[in-house]
Parts: sequence; structure tokens; C-alpha cells
Amino acid sequence: MSKSYFDETHCAFGHPKSTFMQWMLTVDHKRIGIMYAVVMFTFFFVAVAAALTMRFELFAPGQQFIDAHTFNQAFTLHGVIMVFLFIIPGIPAVFGNIVMPLMIGAKDVSFPRLNWFTFWLYIIGCIVALSSLFNFNIADGKLVFNFADTGWTFYAPYSLNTDTNVVTALVAAFILGMASILTGLNFLVTIHRLRAPGMDFFKMPLFVWGIYATAWIQLLATPVVGITLILALLEKYFGIGIFDPSKGGDPVLFQHLFWIYSHPAVYLMILPAFGIMSEIIPAFSRREIFGYHTIALSSASIAGVGYLVWGHHLFTSGMSDTAKTIFSFLTFFVAIPTGVKFYDWVATMYKGKIVLATPMLWALGTMITFAIGGLSGVTIAMIGADIHLQDTYYTIAHFHYAMLGGVVFLFFAGIHYWFPLVFGKMYNETRAKLAFYILFIGFNLLWFPMFIAGYYGMPRRYFDYLPEFQIYHQISFWGAIIFVSGLIFMFYTLIQGIRKGKPCGVNPWNATTLEWHLPSSPPPLENHTKVPYVDFRPYEYYHGQPVVKFDENMKRID
Amino acid sequence: MLEGFGSRAATFTADIDHALWINLVLSVVLFLSVIAPMLYFAWKYRESNVKDENIENIIHHTGLEITWTLIPTLMLAVFFWYGYTTMRTLRTMPDAASSITVAVQGKKWSWDYTYAANANGFVHKTNDLFVPVDQNVILEMRAPLNDVIHSFFVPAFRMKEDVVPGRLTKQWFNSTVIGNYDVECAEYCGTRHSYMLSKIHVIDRATYDAWFNSDAKAPAGFEVKMSKGQEVFEGNGCNGCHSVTTDAILVGPSLMGIGEKKDAQYIKDSIVTPDKVIAPGFSAGVMAPFTLSDEDMKALIGYLKDGK
Repeated sequence: MSKSYFDETHCAFGHPKSTFMQWMLTVDHKRIGIMYAVVMFTFFFVAVAAALTMRFELFAPGQQFIDAHTFNQAFTLHGVIMVFLFIIPGIPAVFGNIVMPLMIGAKDVSFPRLNWFTFWLYIIGCIVALSSLFNFNIADGKLVFNFADTGWTFYAPYSLNTDTNVVTALVAAFILGMASILTGLNFLVTIHRLRAPGMDFFKMPLFVWGIYATAWIQLLATPVVGITLILALLEKYFGIGIFDPSKGGDPVLFQHLFWIYSHPAVYLMILPAFGIMSEIIPAFSRREIFGYHTIALSSASIAGVGYLVWGHHLFTSGMSDTAKTIFSFLTFFVAIPTGVKFYDWVATMYKGKIVLATPMLWALGTMITFAIGGLSGVTIAMIGADIHLQDTYYTIAHFHYAMLGGVVFLFFAGIHYWFPLVFGKMYNETRAKLAFYILFIGFNLLWFPMFIAGYYGMPRRYFDYLPEFQIYHQISFWGAIIFVSGLIFMFYTLIQGIRKGKPCGVNPWNATTLEWHLPSSPPPLENHTKVPYVDFRPYEYYHGQPVVKFDENMKRID
Repeated sequence: MLEGFGSRAATFTADIDHALWINLVLSVVLFLSVIAPMLYFAWKYRESNVKDENIENIIHHTGLEITWTLIPTLMLAVFFWYGYTTMRTLRTMPDAASSITVAVQGKKWSWDYTYAANANGFVHKTNDLFVPVDQNVILEMRAPLNDVIHSFFVPAFRMKEDVVPGRLTKQWFNSTVIGNYDVECAEYCGTRHSYMLSKIHVIDRATYDAWFNSDAKAPAGFEVKMSKGQEVFEGNGCNGCHSVTTDAILVGPSLMGIGEKKDAQYIKDSIVTPDKVIAPGFSAGVMAPFTLSDEDMKALIGYLKDGK
């Protein structure tokens, strides 16, 4: 039996004998992707635990288990981990690494050592981010331990005149941002230089298009974090009033800078997720994708327009009405290419052969949840509506439908889709489908009542609430219990799949793209035996079978 | 549902609900235009129902593509228009001469309202907002420089605007329905954020005028029997952080029985220069110094000593 990338690896330096050191020093894109996944999902469960604690507390009005201060720390921890450590690096770091080079027929990314360095930069960023949440003060000769309670948005002046280490948090964002920039740069060069011969841009799989658009955002939007950091340092150490009104600064400027980065970051989360959707829908409809060019170009245009809409987070901040109008107008232009993608995916199913395997279930379920997430986002792009709904549970429900019900669900879809590629084994599909249904029901029960509570005036980040809102919190609570049970069951099923799954061969889904045409399963260290010549479209099916077939030496045999 | 939420209490409430209603209807249409065919195709073309040779690779249809780009674009234009016009209604301040202007201060963690002087030169300061029905009211909102951002949110009216230290922000409303409406802080501001609540009481004009032209604390029907000391305590928002009736720690230490434990000078120092002596287990820099008149200080110390 041939050796897989689990058996041998290239290292950044040296030739370590121990398996552990081989993983720590590996430059193999597949191994690095797996390591990102392990770290990220560890953080993910910590953040889920923080969220569940909040839902327990909110089961009834008044104080239950934790006090207000602890509650505020819990949502800060939840937000910081979920956004900065999990979703932003998310799909690009895991599947951008594992799958993207395989899809374009490359042996690895363009700069494998840089990729290794980037992973460890990410780890350092995570450590700094978490340490920024812990504060130590010396009071009365005693060490007082404190934990940030600013929320993940770190809004000034609250973050400046509490004990929070906003500077450390920005340093963490800067380091994580640097990792993000380097990942983006690496992927851009890889996509430009290492595509298989013959594969022009419009022969690339759509996931690669998603990663490509994302990489540009990573490269161009992230530097704003550095600017913000420098301004915060100038204020803290040189007393120059920039954000702090008591020094003559303007706290709203902080919000602008924060969202100039963090809003494009939303698209760098969702674009690769859309890429996963565009892979799964044709593969499980057994036919070629509808509107390939529009889907590819809509990713690019979302990335472009996404820079110009950050102001829609500031409709009630005191910003000028003219600016509000312009930002609202531009925001609707993000919705159009997103909508077009949805219609293209649905049209792909027309006269296909729909195989409801686990990845397809996740993809179709996400169509429903993300459609709700996207359309509710359109509601709050309407300025007058947003004046009522801003900072309420409506907004919370919206972005959880978009981020969790969009990005994370498609991340899960991707995990179920590429699991057999990565491990060469198949999980128990019956259980995985059951896990999907549990999660889907729990998710909607958890988040949908918040739209209603938000419309009726339930503000976000409330430790306690007026008794009128109790019913919504209680439905959410039961949804959360179901959702977390589903999560545990899903990961249990996947881990059982790694341990005991049956070998599945190189192309269990009958898919067309190059990552399913490897010589062995799991893939060998340097991927395809030979770089193939690509003069075909990525999703060519004929009578439900992939048109292009290769033998183990990448010779066409169709 | 909060009190008065469904009563279309302010002049613009119906406009915003109308915009949201149009948004909801068109959103459901857009949602179904994606999800209904998706579910139908998933059923119609299910694996067991399709022979491989019947699969068709349709990859392009110009007419359809134009349709599903243009129609949603038109719907979005409708959304933008309704969002814009309702914003204009909410953000165009009425003529100041025919309006009541009230200064709103949001600070950690209470709201207070200061009215213009009445004919006798008396200035009303309250913790609930009293306004006459059918009257344009302009809120001029500020936060102390060393405070944080708050947001003045009245769900029943569908209005909200941030209160930013170092800036003056404004909102207006005209309530057509007599009633009591909740005010919530909607921008996260710290430990007691969810308790930064207040009320707007919309009352009939005669009651309002009678109160406004007097020096009574509250209009007829809203009087609360309170000692001078308690008024000072609650009027300055001390109860936002300190409990006097229980030993609960809200933010700062409980002041129950403080009069027996400490002398008047200690209490006074703790108000004027809070960081001079810090109660064990609490940190400096949390409480801002307060300046009170001698009379108020005396009443307050009396209140803390004997509850009167």
C-alpha cells in the first residue's frame, strides 16, 4: 500500500524522527490545515460553553447562576474567540490549505515554509488574544485578577477607561491580522502561479474563486488593524486624544476603524463558504453547475463592494445622515450578487439527480438558514428600520443566521464533504444525517425567537431583561440545549469515523474536481503523481458520471 | 410585549412598522423564490426518481438570469426608499420654537432629564421623562466626558440614537397616545447596562402644564413620597451602583447600615473624593466624584444614617 501524507512529511527544517515533532514542523499544506482545524475547534467549544452559560443565566429574569459582570465577561470571551480565532481564519486556513492546492493540481502552496510560519503566528496571536482578556492589577498589595468585559467590538471609550487591555487586544488582532495577510498572500501567489497548465481562471473550481476573492480581502483590509493599533498606542503612551473624549478624541472614529476592517472580514468569512456550496451542489446534483461565470464574478464583486459598506454598523452612532444614506445604498449592492448565487445554485438542481448525502443535506439546510440570515440583513440595511432594530436581538439573530447558519454550517458541510478525502475513510452517514437534523432544528429554535424579541425591543448584551421577554429566552434555551447536543453528536460521529470508518477510495462522491483524482486515499505527500493538463471545465458530467477520468499517473482515460 | 408597544404611540411609529411590513412581505417572497424551487427540485429530481440518461446539463439561460437579477434589484430599491424616507422622518428635527426641548444625560447607569426653566425660573430635573400628549419633543442628549457611550432606545416609539461623550446628539418624537413607555440603554455600557432603564410618561396637557409651572417633583398621579435625602440619592443615580435596603453588591459596596459603621466625614469624603479610601475588595477609579450642595449633602448623609 502506498504511503500517505500521514506517514511522511516535509519539515520546515531538520528531519525529526518523532511523530510529534514532524507535525509541529510540517510544511505540508494538508497537515497544516488539519492542525488549524484542531486548534480552531478546541476554541470553538470553549466559546460554545460560554454561550451556553449565558443562555442558562437568561432562562429567567433576574440573577440565576452568575452575576452581571461575569455575564459580560462571558459574551466577551464568546465573541472574541468565535470571531477572531475561529470564523475569520476558519475556512481559508483549514480548507484553503487542505483542498485549494489539490483543486488546482499543485504540490503544495507557493511558500510552504511561510505557511508553517503563519500557522505558528496564528498560535501566538491566539495566545496574545486570550492573555489580553486576563488583567492583573495590584490593589492594596494584592493581586486582583480581572477579565475583559468590553464585548468583542472593544468600543471606545468603554474599552479605554475600564481595566481592559485594549492595546494588547489590538496587538493580538495585529498578529492574527499578519497571519491572515500572509495566508492571503500565499494563496494569491499559489492561485496565480501554481495552477495546472491549461487551467485558466474560468476553469478553476468555484471554491478556488472563493478563496481567491477572500485572499484579496485578507491582504487589503487587514492593514487597517495596524493603523488602529498605532493610533491606540499614540493615545495611551503619548496622551494624544484620538478616541478618548476626555482627551479631546472621538470615540466614533474607533467604530469607523473597527468596522473598516471587521466588515470586509464578514465577507472573508462568507466567500469561501459560498465556495463550498458551489462545490457540493453540482457534485450531488450530478450535473454541471448553472451560471459558473456569474457565481465566480459575484464573489469578486462582493469582495469589492464589501469594502465600502462598513458605515451600516453606525446608523445610530451619531454619524451624518448623508453618510448613512450612502452606506445604506451601497449595502444593497452586496445583496444582489449574493441573491444571484442562490438562484444559480437552485437552477443547478433543475433536471439533475439529487443525492441527499450528508454534505448535500448541510448545503440545502444552509440555503434555508442563510437565506433568512441574508434577508434579515437586508432589513437592517434599511436605515429607518435599523434605527429601531440596531443593537437588539434582531441584529443578534441576523448575524447568527448569517455567520453560524451560513459560514459555520457550510464549514460543517465542507467537513462532511472532504472528510473522506482527508482521512481516506467514511463516517457513519446515518448518524451524520441525524446530527444534521438535530442541529438544524436546535438552531432555528435557538435563534428564530430572537427576531421577534428584538423587534419587540429586547436589547443585546442584557444580563437581565424586562419580564415581557421571558418566553423568547426560554424557547431559545431549549433550542440551545438541542443544538449543543447535536454538536456533540456530530463531532462524536466524525471522530468515530476517523477511528473506525471504512476505507472509501479516492472518489466516494463521484465528484469531478481534481482533488478527487488523486492516486491514492488518503493523498500521498506530494499530491498528484503528475501535474495534469486541464482543458476541461471543473464540473463536467455526462449522464450523471464525471466526464474526465484519470489513471493513477494522471493520464486521461476517458 | 412592552407597555404601549402595539399602540403606535409616536407619530412615526406607524411609518416604521409599515416599512418593516413591506420588508417582511417582500422578504418572504424572495425567500420562497429560492427555497420553494429548491425543495421542489430536491423532491422531484430525487435520486430514485431520475434515470442517469435523463439528467440535463443546463448551464445558461439569459432570460432567467436577467429576471432574477432585475426583480430583486427592484425590490431592494423599494427597501432603500422606505429606509431612507423613514430615516428622514425620524432624523428631521421639528421646529424648536414649537417644541419642548429636554436635555437628556446618560451616565453609568442612569438617565436624567433637565427641562428648560419655567416662568418662575424653576428648573425641573427628573429621572423619568414627563411630556404632554400631541407635542413635539426634542431630546438633546449628552454623556459626561469621562463616561462611555449609551443609546437612548424607546421600543414603543421605534426610535434610538447613541449618546456619545463629547458630542451632542438629538432625537425627537411626538406621542399621540397617553401612556407609559420603557426607555432602555441599547449600547453596551458595563456591569449595570441592563438596568439602565427609564420611563417616558405621556400625560394630558393640563396635568403637564400644572406640573411644569410648579416646583412639584412629579406631575399629579406620579408623586412618590420620598425624603429629601432619598431624592438626592436616587436623583444622582447612586442607587444604580449601591444598594441601601439589602446587602447586595450591585457594583459598589452596599450602603446598608453605613451610618452605624462610618461617620459623616467618611461618607462625605467617599462621595466627593471616592478614591481617597477604597472599601476592601473594590477597585479605585470606578466611581466618579460627585459635587453636591451643602444642603443636599446633609440630607443625603441623613438618609444614609437613618433611612430618612
